[in-house]
Amino acid sequence: MKMKKDRGPSPDILKDPAGWVDYRLPFKWLVNDHLIDYPTPKNLSYMWNFGSLAGVALLLQIVTGLFLAMHYKGDVTLAFDSIQHIMRNVQGGWLIRNMHMVGASFFFIVVYIHMFRGLYYGSYKSPREILWGLGVIILLLMMATAFMGYVLPWGQMSYWGATVITNLLSVIPLVGDDIVIWLWGGYSVGDPTLTRFYALHFVLPFVIAAVTMLHLVALHTHGSNNPKGIDLKKETDFIPFHPYYTMKDIFGLGVYLMPFLFMVFYLPDALGHPDNYIPADPLVTPAHIVPEWYFLPFYAILRAIPSKELGVLAMFASILILFILPLLDRSKVRSASYRPIYQQMFWIFAVNALVLGWCGAQPAEGIYVIIARVCTFVYFAFFLSLPLVSRIEKPRPLPKGI
Amino acid sequence: MMRKLLLTAALVLPTASFAAGSVDIPTRDWDFERIQSDWDKDRILRGYTVATQVCLACHGLKYISHRDLMRADFTENEAKKLAADLGVKLDDKLLSQMDDQTSVEIYGKVAPDLSVMNKARAGGANYVWALLHGYTEGDKIPEKYKKYFPDGMPTGSYFNKYFGGHAIAMPNPITGPELVEYHDGTEASVDNMIEDVAYFMQFTAEPELKDRQRLGVYVLLYLFIFTILAYFVKRHIWRDVKK
Repeated sequence: MKMKKDRGPSPDILKDPAGWVDYRLPFKWLVNDHLIDYPTPKNLSYMWNFGSLAGVALLLQIVTGLFLAMHYKGDVTLAFDSIQHIMRNVQGGWLIRNMHMVGASFFFIVVYIHMFRGLYYGSYKSPREILWGLGVIILLLMMATAFMGYVLPWGQMSYWGATVITNLLSVIPLVGDDIVIWLWGGYSVGDPTLTRFYALHFVLPFVIAAVTMLHLVALHTHGSNNPKGIDLKKETDFIPFHPYYTMKDIFGLGVYLMPFLFMVFYLPDALGHPDNYIPADPLVTPAHIVPEWYFLPFYAILRAIPSKELGVLAMFASILILFILPLLDRSKVRSASYRPIYQQMFWIFAVNALVLGWCGAQPAEGIYVIIARVCTFVYFAFFLSLPLVSRIEKPRPLPKGI
Repeated sequence: MMRKLLLTAALVLPTASFAAGSVDIPTRDWDFERIQSDWDKDRILRGYTVATQVCLACHGLKYISHRDLMRADFTENEAKKLAADLGVKLDDKLLSQMDDQTSVEIYGKVAPDLSVMNKARAGGANYVWALLHGYTEGDKIPEKYKKYFPDGMPTGSYFNKYFGGHAIAMPNPITGPELVEYHDGTEASVDNMIEDVAYFMQFTAEPELKDRQRLGVYVLLYLFIFTILAYFVKRHIWRDVKK
């Protein structure tokens, strides 16, 4: 057993109040070592802004969500009306709701760019595998939270989206149907479903915040990766986080907020579906049930595969495979800039992901299904060819420093 | 890398528009779509006249009361007077004159509430405008569409060019000109009535529209200046960092 470090006598509370507190709660360590003097590579590009932006997006969702929760009614007979109440009667309610609604989409935009950044620069590689894995957990939690949040307005897409997606679990052998009934709290999506989704939608963001803290602990253990993808050793390669990156992040935040607030004020419904302004009706199925845009690539994978069981499996696998990405990619070189084959693969993967998203918005028929199948194949081929690629690929010479 | 990512997105995203179904809704210019504008009070009142004297016979506007008209620059007295003319109070919601049971007996379904209709259909006001123009003289099926209805229209449905499936339970509500009398002497032609009621329904769907357009300009202007200043502060702070 190691004894605790002897911290000596406590400073006097009157002579040195900050020292007195710090003796008991080391806030100087937290603020100074992790926000102010935290050594950060000096060559980070603007692609490194998206981590802190994601943090701001999460915070905005939590704050706006808290105020919405003060006026929202989680009851199938009241939910739809309560949204209109927020939009019409609550002071500033339309602003809070538009921010929450558009904010969800922008949260995903930021996180997707953040992930593609990590993918390009090999930020998932040793020693940052757990950092990456925690990020994938955050993504999964975000997806669950967003999905349940979309159910709360209790419009047609809320209801039918919830019905389609929860039904996917019925493919689980033997207990599938029972699990779906257990999840619904009845024999169809109904009031018990709405109330539990509301409860979970409220609590999950705080779980996300907690996992984000772990994400930061893991990040600060080895520090940020950088565009060169090489380990930095020299002290002159680093600059303190404050004021350099605090200021750069503030500027980046301003750039982010412009399109975000433009949509909040001028195109609040552009990313939503008009059917969700029709109250939920279990007797009328919409012509096309489409999830929110940020689920479309995964939705396309689900529908690309003819068997429901395999489709569900492929959809979950398409996200879970991210966990083992550090195992699949054996190359020691991090940045794609020095990996001729991987660099090409990355761009094919990025375009492929966008095409998959487009397929997800089309009806599941004819040519769309064929395109979706090709794209699904390319999606998985990217990951599964990595062990081989990382073995045969000859990396370009790495720079000695930055 | 950022530039490439944006370029890729710019190339692919325009094709990613949602399939709007088989019906093409013509688009029109609406002044409320401008970045800055005020509700046209006379037009709101004309649309209100059509809505209350025609639409409300079967449909409701359950999220709207006369007090809401004050968000389109009506004074409290003006709104009160309009309410009194209809025999309701300032805060009474504009409910349908037909109860659900009667509606089901006549049309086979409850006529949908119109408050958020302009948000609930792809195309918004364009859709409402098109739908009301989508009926034919004497409910005849045009040649082009006869193949869909070889035995004529199904019972209780009417042909409409812009309705999904083209068979709508609602008979043409704007049957001819002069269904209403306008307060400002504007001719109550079919075109005017349709245009005015579609405009009014935009107001009922989002009475906050003008509030957000007005506030948005200030917020974005402030943010723009803030961001430019932030950029120069950032550059100033970073000036000593050697590449």
